Amino acid sequence: MTTHTRNKLIPLADAVRRFAFSGMQYASGAALPVGSDAIAFGRELVRQSVGDLHAIFHANTQQLNLLCAVGAVAKAECGFTGLEGFGFANGLRRSVESGQVVLEDYSNLAMAVRLLAGAMNWPFAPATVNIGSDVERRSAFAPNEYPAQSKIPIIQDPFTGRPLGAFSPLKPDLAAIHVPLADPAGNAIMLGTEWSRFELSRAAKRVILIADCIVDTACMRQFPNLVRIPDLLVEAVVWWPFTAWPQASPGVYDGDEAHMKLMNQMLGSEDGTREYVERFVTPAGQRESYLELIGAETIARLSAGPTAFLLDPYRRWLLPDATVRELEAANTDKSERLAA
Amino acid sequence: MNYTRQEMMAIATGREIRDGELAIFGVGLSMLAGFFAIAHHAPNVRAMTEGGIYGATPIGGLPWGIECNRISANATSFTSGLDALGCLVASGRCDIGIIGAAQVDRFGNVNTTGIWGGEIGAHYGPPKTRLTGSGGANDIAVGCKRYLIMASHEKKRFVERVDYISSPGYLDGGNARAAYGFVGGGPSAIITTLGILRPDLLSKEFFLEAYFAFSSVDEILADTGWNLRVSPTVSIVAEPSDAELLALRSVDVTGMLRRAA
Repeated sequence: MTTHTRNKLIPLADAVRRFAFSGMQYASGAALPVGSDAIAFGRELVRQSVGDLHAIFHANTQQLNLLCAVGAVAKAECGFTGLEGFGFANGLRRSVESGQVVLEDYSNLAMAVRLLAGAMNWPFAPATVNIGSDVERRSAFAPNEYPAQSKIPIIQDPFTGRPLGAFSPLKPDLAAIHVPLADPAGNAIMLGTEWSRFELSRAAKRVILIADCIVDTACMRQFPNLVRIPDLLVEAVVWWPFTAWPQASPGVYDGDEAHMKLMNQMLGSEDGTREYVERFVTPAGQRESYLELIGAETIARLSAGPTAFLLDPYRRWLLPDATVRELEAANTDKSERLAA
Repeated sequence: MNYTRQEMMAIATGREIRDGELAIFGVGLSMLAGFFAIAHHAPNVRAMTEGGIYGATPIGGLPWGIECNRISANATSFTSGLDALGCLVASGRCDIGIIGAAQVDRFGNVNTTGIWGGEIGAHYGPPKTRLTGSGGANDIAVGCKRYLIMASHEKKRFVERVDYISSPGYLDGGNARAAYGFVGGGPSAIITTLGILRPDLLSKEFFLEAYFAFSSVDEILADTGWNLRVSPTVSIVAEPSDAELLALRSVDVTGMLRRAA
C-alpha cells in the first residue's frame, strides 16, 4: 500500500526561486569533488542569476567550480579546492588568483567539525587539527591579522592544559543536498559515503533535497536505520535525475570522465565559461532538455556502472515518473511561475 | 631499467607499510603505493579513504577521487568524513598515512595550498598559483601515528621554507611540533623520485638516507633547495623485484606510473 506522508516535491526552478537569494550563505552536499553533489541546483542558480554567494563547500565540486567561474561567488570556505584525479579546479582557481573570490581554507575534518558544531548549536568545537599550520595562522577573511586571531583561536584544554583550536560553527542559510533516494516527504537514503551530509542537514537553517530517484515512503519504513536525513528536517524535495552529472552518484550512475575534463577545461577561461553556460546550463532548465543534453547513450553507459547493484534493494519502491510528476505538479507555484 | 622513477617511488613508499596496519590513502600516487603494499607484502592492511569508505579495493583503474565508484563498488562500510578523519584518524587510531606535496621543506612541512613565490608577508593576499588546499592531509599529518610524504624531487619543490604550511611536519624543527601535543608523531620519511629522506632524531631536519639505483647523491643535492645533509651511511635502495613490479602493475592497471613524466 502506498504510504505517502506530506508531499514536498517541487520543480527545481521553484526551489531556487523560493529558497535561494543573492548574498546567502549557501552550502551544497555532499560537496564531494568527483562524487555526490547537488550540481543541478548550482546550474539553476546560474540560470536565475543568483550571486554574491558565500559558499560553504566541505570540498570543491564542479558546482563550486562553475559558480566561481561565472562570478556568482564572493566568499568561500572549503576543506579542499581541487578536483582530485581531474586536477585543479580551473574556474575556482582563476577566481581565487584574481582576488574575485575570497577563499578561507580549512582542512576536511575542520569543515566537518564546524558543521557538527553548527548542528549541535555549540559556540565552538575544539580540535587539534589545523593548529600550528598556516591554515590556522592565515585568514583570507581577516588578511591583516598575522597570525590570525579570529579564525581558529587557540584555547587551552581546561583539563590537560594543552593547546586546542576553537572552530567556529557553520549554519548556512540554505543547504541543497544531493541524495540518490528520497521520498516525497523528504526522507533520504544515501548510497556511498555520506561525507558530511548528516551534519550539514542539521546545521543548515533550511534544507532542500535534490534526488536522483523518488521512492515510496514504504521504502523508508523498510530501511529506517538507513534514513540519515529524516523528513522533519527538509523543506522541499526536487526530483532531478543525474543531479551530480558529470560527477558520480554511487549506485545510480558513474562519473562522466569526458565531460568532467571538458567542463573543467572550459571553466578555465571567461570565454570558455560563457560557452559552457550557453551550451550546457541555459538550455537545460527542464529535466527533459537536461537529459537530452547528456545524451541517451551516455546515460545508458553511466547507469550500468560497477556500483549499479547498490540500487537493487530499492528498485521495487521507485515511483513511476508519471506519479512523481503529478506530485510535483500539485505543489508547483503557479503564480511564481507566471511572474517568472 | 625495466621500471620508471615513479614506480620506484611508489614501491619505496609501499615498503614502509607494515602488514596489519590501519592506513589512510589519498587519491593518486599514495593510493597506488598503499594498494601495492597490500598486493605485495601487507595483505592484512586495513585501508580506508578520507571519505569513510572501508573494506574496498579499487577496480577498473585508479579511482578519480576518494569516493569514486571505482573504490565504492566493493566496500563493506560507508560512513563519513567525520568518522574517517575524526574517529579513526584524529583519535590516534590510524597507524600510517600518505600525503603528497607541491612544496616540502627541510623540516618536512608540506604546502599544497598555493605558490606565492616566497614569504607571504604580513598581509595575506591571493597566491600567484592556487593549488588544492589541505584536504584531509592536515588531519592526517597531525593524527596518524606516522606518515609518509611523496614528492617529485625538484629544486622548486624541495625548498628551504614552504610558502605556506598546509600540513605540519616538524614546523621549526627540534621540539617545535611537540609543543602542540599532536596525537600523531610526524612524518617518518619523504620518499621522492630520487631517494629517501629521514628526519634527524633531535633536530628533526630531513637528511638523505638512501638514493635510488638510477640516481646519485650529487643529483639529489643539486635538486634540493636547502643544504641537504647526507647520512654517513648513505646507501642505494634495493631495486624493485619482479614480484614487486608485478604487484604494483596489478594495481596500476592504467599505467599511470609508466607514462613519461
